[in-house]
Amino acid sequence: MRVFHNLNVDFLGKRKFFYLFSLVLFLIGLISVIFRGLSFGIDFKGGSEIVLQFDRQINITQVRNNIENIGLGNVEVRTFGGETGALIRTELQELPKDVYPKVVQTVENEIKKIIPNAEFSPVEKTANSITYSFATPEAANLVADKLFNAGYQTSKVSEEPDNKQIDISVGIADWIKENLRTKITGNPFKVVKEDRVGPKIGNELKRDAVIAVFLSLIVILIYLGFRFKFVFAIGAVAALFHDVLITLGLYASLYGVIPGLNLDIDLSVVAAFLTLVGYSINDTVIVFDRVRENMKIHKTMPLIDVINKSINQTMSRTIITAFTTLISVFVLLLLGGDVLRAFAFTLMFGIIIGTYSSIFVASAFVLEYADRAKKKVQFS
Amino acid sequence: MKEYRFKIILILAAIALSIYLLYPTFQDYQNNKTLTKELNEKRNEIKKLNPDISTDQLNKMVTLVEDSIKIADPSILEARKKRVKLGLDLQGGMRVVLEVNTGKLLEKIASNPDDIFKKVLADAEAEAAKTDESVVDIIGRKFQERGIRLSRYYGTIRQDDNEIMAELKKSSEDAVTRAMEIIRNRVDQYGVSEPSISRQGSRRIIVELPGVAKEEEAKQLLQGTALLEFRLVKDAELTYSIMQRIDDVLAKRTQSGVKDSLGNEIAAVDTTTKKADTTAANDTTKQLTEAEFKVQHPFFSVAVLNPQSPNADAYVSKDDRNKIQYWLSLPEVQKVIPDNVEFVFSAKPLKTQDGKQIYMMYLVNKTPELTGGVVTNAQANIDPNTSAPIVNMEMNSEGATDWARITGANVGKRIAIMLDGVVFTAPNVKGKIPGGRSQIEGSENMEEAKLLEIVLKAGALPAPVDVIEERIVGPSLGQDSVSAGFNSAIIGYLAVGLFMIFYYRQAGTVAALTLVLIILFILGILAGFGASLTLPGIAGIVLTIGMAVDANVLIFERIREEMATGKTVKASIDSGFSRAYSAIIDSNITTFFTGIILYQFGTGPVQGFALTLMIGIAATLFGALVITRLVLDILVSRGIKISVG
Repeated sequence: MRVFHNLNVDFLGKRKFFYLFSLVLFLIGLISVIFRGLSFGIDFKGGSEIVLQFDRQINITQVRNNIENIGLGNVEVRTFGGETGALIRTELQELPKDVYPKVVQTVENEIKKIIPNAEFSPVEKTANSITYSFATPEAANLVADKLFNAGYQTSKVSEEPDNKQIDISVGIADWIKENLRTKITGNPFKVVKEDRVGPKIGNELKRDAVIAVFLSLIVILIYLGFRFKFVFAIGAVAALFHDVLITLGLYASLYGVIPGLNLDIDLSVVAAFLTLVGYSINDTVIVFDRVRENMKIHKTMPLIDVINKSINQTMSRTIITAFTTLISVFVLLLLGGDVLRAFAFTLMFGIIIGTYSSIFVASAFVLEYADRAKKKVQFS
Repeated sequence: MKEYRFKIILILAAIALSIYLLYPTFQDYQNNKTLTKELNEKRNEIKKLNPDISTDQLNKMVTLVEDSIKIADPSILEARKKRVKLGLDLQGGMRVVLEVNTGKLLEKIASNPDDIFKKVLADAEAEAAKTDESVVDIIGRKFQERGIRLSRYYGTIRQDDNEIMAELKKSSEDAVTRAMEIIRNRVDQYGVSEPSISRQGSRRIIVELPGVAKEEEAKQLLQGTALLEFRLVKDAELTYSIMQRIDDVLAKRTQSGVKDSLGNEIAAVDTTTKKADTTAANDTTKQLTEAEFKVQHPFFSVAVLNPQSPNADAYVSKDDRNKIQYWLSLPEVQKVIPDNVEFVFSAKPLKTQDGKQIYMMYLVNKTPELTGGVVTNAQANIDPNTSAPIVNMEMNSEGATDWARITGANVGKRIAIMLDGVVFTAPNVKGKIPGGRSQIEGSENMEEAKLLEIVLKAGALPAPVDVIEERIVGPSLGQDSVSAGFNSAIIGYLAVGLFMIFYYRQAGTVAALTLVLIILFILGILAGFGASLTLPGIAGIVLTIGMAVDANVLIFERIREEMATGKTVKASIDSGFSRAYSAIIDSNITTFFTGIILYQFGTGPVQGFALTLMIGIAATLFGALVITRLVLDILVSRGIKISVG
């Protein structure tokens, strides 16, 4: 069986149309980025995310309703990997000011339950923990142990025998768990995943991600510049740039639109972008490799015809290589689970747009350059 | 065939090596299955015998059985060490990034922090949260702006600002080292397998604890401060007599046949190993006495004393530590140990020449003579007279008075220096030490002395750390991820393989079979490197399945073109391979480059992806350019008609 056998289409003659097509895609993406922005996951934004696994099927609206009014503002709640899982995410790093006293009250009530007439006073209150001082070391130890067993994060300030102070963490995840435990009865849950990322790490990561993408573009530019003529390298990297920007635009326009598909940008999505950069160049290299070969064979043929001929000759393999990779990425999208879905989606779209751009953008760029330069483009 | 001999040998060697590297993984999988089954049976059995046993006690006993099985068959641990490791996202566990809280540290070491100081510090911390500048730099600048000299809070009056700044920077870096050592010490005692504690940059520590089920408990390992204690080591006579009493209790216990299924279990396992030993050693009389000794003196058979040593510190091999701790926790054993003393272990095991790890066990007072709060400074040095490594320790005036009294009353005895309940060293007191300046000798090398310095400082100086990132994956989610990844790989392979066979016929079949070898190579290399397989890593393998055939597609398409020009099959294959070569190399190298960059950029799971991607590319090139080529060549030379679709 053969597809695209003996193809003879004047692709480059229609390049104006494809410019327009790319431009439209690009503008849609740009407008989305400007008006909707990108949705970053907690890897980049910082925040807390917990995944709960209930014993039995859970009504996600019930979880949502129970969490919405605990004062954490905008909390994202959705199912995770089946009907018994729930993912709860907030970008807050610490409890809001108006909730904090409530949490403190809950903690102090717990302490009073342990030692009814305990003498204790807060020594230090920070956003994520409170330090209490007790009258005796024994009281401090008892409270620390009991609260710990009740699910609180406690630690003694010092391990010295006469230590009277304990730290109690009052983080977001603690507050969510505490609330769900009391409100959803009869369907106990386990925390199967808990992530908390500080804002500083997120900002560093954002910078690193952008650097990594640009660095990979530069490395490819250098390598191809070394293997082909420089103009071809620039054409190839321009096509990659085109792919990355349009895929990013897709993220901006589609997040929150498709149910069940979470398009938050997190670490694995960045990995997908980099892979996309590395993979999408493959098709371009195949076409250019053929252009190089054809230029040697047909020395007098105009560049536009050489490129057209090369694209036609390599069309079947361009399509088939993309197709086989798409098969496995599609399998990942379907079966890889929630964690890999966004990753697979990015690659799937990226491979399609990458194949398109190697045919229509990279070669067209070389042709346009040659036309402008009025100079015969040569290989090596 | 002769011309292909080298290639065939190369390929067979690669396959054999991969299988060799993967065999422990297979073994470990089998071991785990049987081990889990055995332990569950044991658990039920113990429950049946003692229906009201607490979960904690039950878990302890099961751990002991597990230990004894592992000791009986060392190949279990061997296989575990060499298997393909699973990342935290697949086996469950926690990863925590800690950052030393410089602000808190500066506040604690300031000599008299007044309101101005607190205000400046608060401003500096707020500014540091937004910029990359360190708190030390900002605070230095802020005091300069206000015209306040740093010596008002730090160092001595004679030092200028620059000197003090350098000192502050050093103490903030020291705090990271200290925090790392405190955490390592606790994690070691907690018994996490394959923990990883590493430093990132100048202020961060990454702690990875695979398979930790009790997250809350593990988090406690990372927080709080460490407790440094100076405790008196009891003399040899007392220690020996207590050990003897314990030994008697335990001996009676086994002889009277206490209905303790666990004891029986361990004994049973021990006898099986013994049998194996006996046949191997072929020295029955000696073995018999050893076995008898084991029955009559169960305690001394695992807590070995050195008759030449004036001290009664027992040597306990790493494998027996849990057993001893369990024995010591038995109520009848507790009865014969006086209330004011306890047995403690050394922090780090000694390594014997045959690679065994031995802990020292000391009998010490329960109440410390002094705690670490009194230590003001410690410094590892070389003794100018003997050129042996020493550690100088200084105490504050309050501590120095106590220290003089303690050392004066205990000349000739030993004082154990303990951090968080384990002994780092137990030096002899040579004489009364007035003034609080002590010199600790006996470190084997400078590294050990440095460690002691850190330990001594850990009790006195704070190492406040903040958790800035934490990721916890429960084991059940990890298990789900493994099966999701495994299914994707199988389905992905079938889909791609069938397509290749359908589209390229015989040649496609060769490519599809080569793909199996490529996956084998990837896993083999992962095992060989000791790298971890993560969920994105599995995604990388699935992706490789799709990309690996690309090289075959390029070659086959080229062969079709060559055949269309009227060349013979053999000639077409030759020129097909050689002409597709440059495109294959170029496109794979660019992907490889992005893999390298991704590896540099990413952490944990993403690095796992980058790694499988890179290994996948290498395996792909080998598969397409060597294996497929060879198979096609051989088929052609045998005159078998090949179709490329």
